[in-house]
Amino acid sequence: MGTLNPVEETGQSGFFATRADFLVNWGRKNSLWPMPLGLSCCGIELMAMIGPKFDLARFGAEAARFTPRQCDLLIVAGTLTWKMAQACRQIYDQMPDPKWVIAMGVCSSSGGMYDSYAVCQGVDSILPVDVYVPGCPPRPDAVIDAILKLQKKIARESPTGRLAGTGEAIVDEGTGVLHMPPNRAVERSTLDLHPHDPRARRAARESK
Amino acid sequence: MSATTLERVRRALAGLEFEELAARDGMPTLGLAPEDVHAAMERLAHAGRFSTCILVTAVDHLPDEPRFEVVWQLLSVAENDRVRVKCRLPGDEPRVASVSDLWPGARFSERECWDMFGIRFDGLADHRRLLMPEEYGHHPLRKDFPHQGIDPGRLYREWDRARRAQQGFPAQHPDELQPQR
Ligand code: SF4
Repeated sequence: MGTLNPVEETGQSGFFATRADFLVNWGRKNSLWPMPLGLSCCGIELMAMIGPKFDLARFGAEAARFTPRQCDLLIVAGTLTWKMAQACRQIYDQMPDPKWVIAMGVCSSSGGMYDSYAVCQGVDSILPVDVYVPGCPPRPDAVIDAILKLQKKIARESPTGRLAGTGEAIVDEGTGVLHMPPNRAVERSTLDLHPHDPRARRAARESK
Repeated sequence: MSATTLERVRRALAGLEFEELAARDGMPTLGLAPEDVHAAMERLAHAGRFSTCILVTAVDHLPDEPRFEVVWQLLSVAENDRVRVKCRLPGDEPRVASVSDLWPGARFSERECWDMFGIRFDGLADHRRLLMPEEYGHHPLRKDFPHQGIDPGRLYREWDRARRAQQGFPAQHPDELQPQR
């Protein structure tokens, strides 16, 4: 979107639709209103990003609102525990469409080092995430880069297509990894386990 | 300082059964039987002048029996010294007297100890969990609890299904979807 196609190729209506998409996307991407969900240490870096030194206002996204009903960009900054997951999902549900999500830091991207019973292994198991920012914590520059990437992503969307029902469907779900054991991809040696862990004791019994 | 503390403790507990344990950090340490805990604590609080209960926690010695060891640490502000009290409890249905009537601040520690180890405190008025959700059903700091949890997202999933039903969404996610990674 955003470029003008010659009238002869697309026809009158197509010409108009493209322009409307471009205009709407231009407005949306340059005035993102973030909802800062600062859950732990990453939240401090998020504050630095919005503050004067890194100055998110240069990219039009400095109007942080503390009510989800006025926001269209959810920045999950920090460790999402299962107890907080319900509140996080509720915040996401209360944001008006269209809305985007940035997972800031490894904790919210994948659970990070908290491979534990209390921590949700990545917000993407309960929400659709648009941009992941690695780092523990990521520098404010990295998050600003994520916002620029998100702006490019928004510029590719087709709001008029959505209105007419021909655009891509709005995905409202996470990836559905909820019910898998966390960090299933990592092969675990029983040597890593505590000697009293039932799995270690089972392995010791079987190896005898 | 430690010797005078011990003397004070001995005087306060005169007539009660207790054991003097060795501690690596040199803090005076007592071992008590579960049924003596409340009487001894009452004497330590009043006669022993230990005005503050700093912490109530537990240790899980899993293969051994008695399995749990509850630990209290008391501080005397007037005398500027501390004492540690220990008590071993059996592995099934561990319960011990609450000291929250002597030191109201112990309520939070006792609730946390119940939450994390599943130790019941008789006489604790408000026996809710402190950190985990009330319906959680496990006690995570026990040694036989796997550190990655037992189905950690269960409560969220139940909540999510109820929310979807209430808002009229299809209950597709999360059980019905195939995992994508
Ligand atoms: S990613 Fe690192 S800095 Fe960010 S919340 Fe997790 S532990 Fe804290």
